[in-house]
Amino acid sequence: MGLQSCIGGTTLQTLKLASIPTLSSSRLVSRPVQLKALTLDFFLLSRHGRSRRSPFPLLARALSAPAIAFQTETPPEEKGNAVVKPQWKAAIDFKWIRENKEAVAVNIRNRNSNANLEAVIELYDKMSNLQKEVERLRGERNVVANKMKGKLEPSERQRLIEEGKNLKEGLATLEEDLLKLTDELQQEAQGIPNMTHPDVPIGGEDCSVIRKKVGSPPQFGFQIKDHLQLGKELDLFDFDAAAEVSGSKFYYLKNEAVMLEMGLINWTLSEVMKKGFIPLTTPEIVRSSVVEKCGFQPRGANTQVYSIEGSDQCLIGTAEIPVGGIHMDSILAESLLPLKYAAFSHCFRTEAGAAGAATRGLYRVHQFSKVEMFVLCRPEESDLYHEELIKIEEDLFSSLGLHYKTLDMASGDLGAPAYRKFDVEAWMPGLERFGEISSASNCTDYQSRRLGIRYRPSEPSSASPKKGKANLAPPRFVHTLNATACAVPRMIVCLLENYQQEDGSVTIPEPLRPFMGGLEIIAPKSR
Amino acid sequence: MSNLQKEVERLRGERNVVANKMKGKLEPSERQRLIEEGKNLKEGLATLEEDLLKLTDELQQEAQGIPNMTHPDVPIGGEDCSVIRKKVGSPPQFGFQIKDHLQLGKELDLFDFDAAAEVSGSKFYYLKNEAVMLEMGLINWTLSEVMKKGFIPLTTPEIVRSSVVEKCGFQPRGANTQVYSIEGSDQCLIGTAEIPVGGIHMDSILAESLLPLKYAAFSHCFRTEAGAAGAATRGLYRVHQFSKVEMFVLCRPEESDLYHEELIKIEEDLFSSLGLHYKTLDMASGDLGAPAYRKFDVEAWMPGLERFGEISSASNCTDYQSRRLGIRYRPSEPSSASPKKGKANLAPPRFVHTLNATACAVPRMIVCLLENYQQEDGSVTIPEPLRPFMGGLEIIAPKSR
Repeated sequence: MGLQSCIGGTTLQTLKLASIPTLSSSRLVSRPVQLKALTLDFFLLSRHGRSRRSPFPLLARALSAPAIAFQTETPPEEKGNAVVKPQWKAAIDFKWIRENKEAVAVNIRNRNSNANLEAVIELYDKMSNLQKEVERLRGERNVVANKMKGKLEPSERQRLIEEGKNLKEGLATLEEDLLKLTDELQQEAQGIPNMTHPDVPIGGEDCSVIRKKVGSPPQFGFQIKDHLQLGKELDLFDFDAAAEVSGSKFYYLKNEAVMLEMGLINWTLSEVMKKGFIPLTTPEIVRSSVVEKCGFQPRGANTQVYSIEGSDQCLIGTAEIPVGGIHMDSILAESLLPLKYAAFSHCFRTEAGAAGAATRGLYRVHQFSKVEMFVLCRPEESDLYHEELIKIEEDLFSSLGLHYKTLDMASGDLGAPAYRKFDVEAWMPGLERFGEISSASNCTDYQSRRLGIRYRPSEPSSASPKKGKANLAPPRFVHTLNATACAVPRMIVCLLENYQQEDGSVTIPEPLRPFMGGLEIIAPKSR
Repeated sequence: MSNLQKEVERLRGERNVVANKMKGKLEPSERQRLIEEGKNLKEGLATLEEDLLKLTDELQQEAQGIPNMTHPDVPIGGEDCSVIRKKVGSPPQFGFQIKDHLQLGKELDLFDFDAAAEVSGSKFYYLKNEAVMLEMGLINWTLSEVMKKGFIPLTTPEIVRSSVVEKCGFQPRGANTQVYSIEGSDQCLIGTAEIPVGGIHMDSILAESLLPLKYAAFSHCFRTEAGAAGAATRGLYRVHQFSKVEMFVLCRPEESDLYHEELIKIEEDLFSSLGLHYKTLDMASGDLGAPAYRKFDVEAWMPGLERFGEISSASNCTDYQSRRLGIRYRPSEPSSASPKKGKANLAPPRFVHTLNATACAVPRMIVCLLENYQQEDGSVTIPEPLRPFMGGLEIIAPKSR
């Protein structure tokens, strides 16, 4: 349909136009191009309709006017929703939301989300009613069409033709309204965060609960150094040259630090492959729609996402995004699940809004290497795989001899996609505190509803010999999970600071040595 | 510009004379006359200085486009005039119908181009299973080999300021540019680690004792491949993103020819170790990039493509990049018997020469290895040197389904 292609064909120009105000004000003020086209057509059609005394314009106007008026009531600042009209539709279960309104509202509150549940429900009701109306009219139009097939008096035929025409125009108007409503509904609903696991502590960051604590801070009998100083003395990094070439928070790794990065990646991949994860490397440039479908906002204020000039592409901040995209818009055979991927990629983050001393050195950088685990599974199993993922992470960190704690993150600290999130924080002696080295999230069906990833359950006891579509169970959305197996810079911070020796050298933990050509120690170089 | 500069200096001289005169005791009328003269000189000077600035910019603009000089042994002419310096091995003989890397990859479940086309666009890909081990193995092996030759291993930023890209001799914002730019910033993605490595010693004067500086940098590379189309761009042969180990040398001018030979020898040794059939070309004058004084390309036999394909390139850029990046070195005095140390005794800094050479461009190597080492049963053998870097894996076998 012409209108549909208008919506789907958003170009970078229109995205840029709409990038500053929220959608609500942008509709009234700096309307994106395709909306202008819609409104214009709407007026044309309704005027046309009125001149022919169609019975429907009043109804149409009554439906659409409150929709627009309603939008002006929403707060002008960004509400945590996408700032531009979505180019894709999330398969959100509106009925479920409506039926579980209270729980959804409580959840939104617990997560400090700006989502507007009332708006969603109102829009949904309007849309449902409009849909019924549209169907009713379609029915009437079919009745008229059928009548016209038979033998009729000329006057009767003429009357039917008139009626048919009126119905058609009215229908066109309503169908347009329906499309607009559907878009508005998507816009609002996409901002509703995922539900929350019942065991998740409610509250802000400080309410997160420690699930596990391993090891203890190493005791040093000498004045210790932080990773920056160690790196300088052992000639392992260069931040100054990188600041000139690229900007702050960029770095070169040199000498043994390169071997450490390669060793960490190779060892990690090898370990998780043993657990049945399929190794992958991924594109690091992706379409921005894929970024959005995973629950990120490429063009929000303070976005973490770098965009490519002159295109709808972005750089990935995590391999979660391109891996999530592999099975976009697919129906997987149940026998394929669970699908477990371990993806190695570089990650790029703007770190806009992050400042302060805690961002010195390798702790917060714009570009880094990471091995990410990603699981697609049946809904009943996601809690299980969440436990499996955190266990894998804990085993990896224990193998390296790190002192760390695993946290069950509080509701106020979960990203919109996460049903539950476990963070691991390792002790960093140079920083004199714990620092996050990994995160494991169960996103249930939040991402899969946006990415369109479903599976076809196989029939449990299909004794019937008759094979056909009638016997197939309807597809269901998979659950997705993601977990950091190794974020290289933070691991380097941990290893350097924890394993430093009095003479300024750093010992390499046993498991990494075979992956570093047998290197046991990073020693100061004679000058 | 030279003339204008002399004019400016002359006027400045006159202005100084006037200024000096004004210091002494003068008659009021005389002082007034000098003040007038001084003012005129000042305005005239301001105009000329503006012109000088404009001229300097125009001169830079034009001059930056002048390509590097060319080594006398370089064949003159277009692509077909390139001369073969060396040929190693011969095309493998297969007793069966061979497949190209795309088909092998599909059957062995090694890549996914279709999913990548949806997620990112054409010419993007996922590597899967043993292909990931192959990539890691190639990188680790290559780094290990060149480190033995004294190269300092590096990883680099892949986002750089566009000025650095330009100083290396690339044009980030030209039509059909190979360079991706970041929206809302003056930054770009690198197409090769040559760029961030070249930038390390920007605007510096190095001690001669540091030279030669030999770096082996591992990075991802991003190229728009604008203007490249056709069948030769199927599969891994031409892609927007790939991993590469790049060698970069900074040395004294007298030594750059020597290091160019050393770099090509290192490359040839690497490719011979992997058992590839290849030829090394001395690229003709019409096929050199602006920065290159001389360029050797290595083309390896790709049975699936039924032709040779470029797998590496080694360029001697002499002082083209260093003049733009501002990289110089301070020659130490050869026989400085004089006990007096001071600036007067220091030789003036000279521009270094820079060279760059591909040690390993992963996708093209994967094409070579898959196509050359395929077996009749559809499996692919791993060359010996890589096996220790792939957990001992000897063969990529078809998976039972």
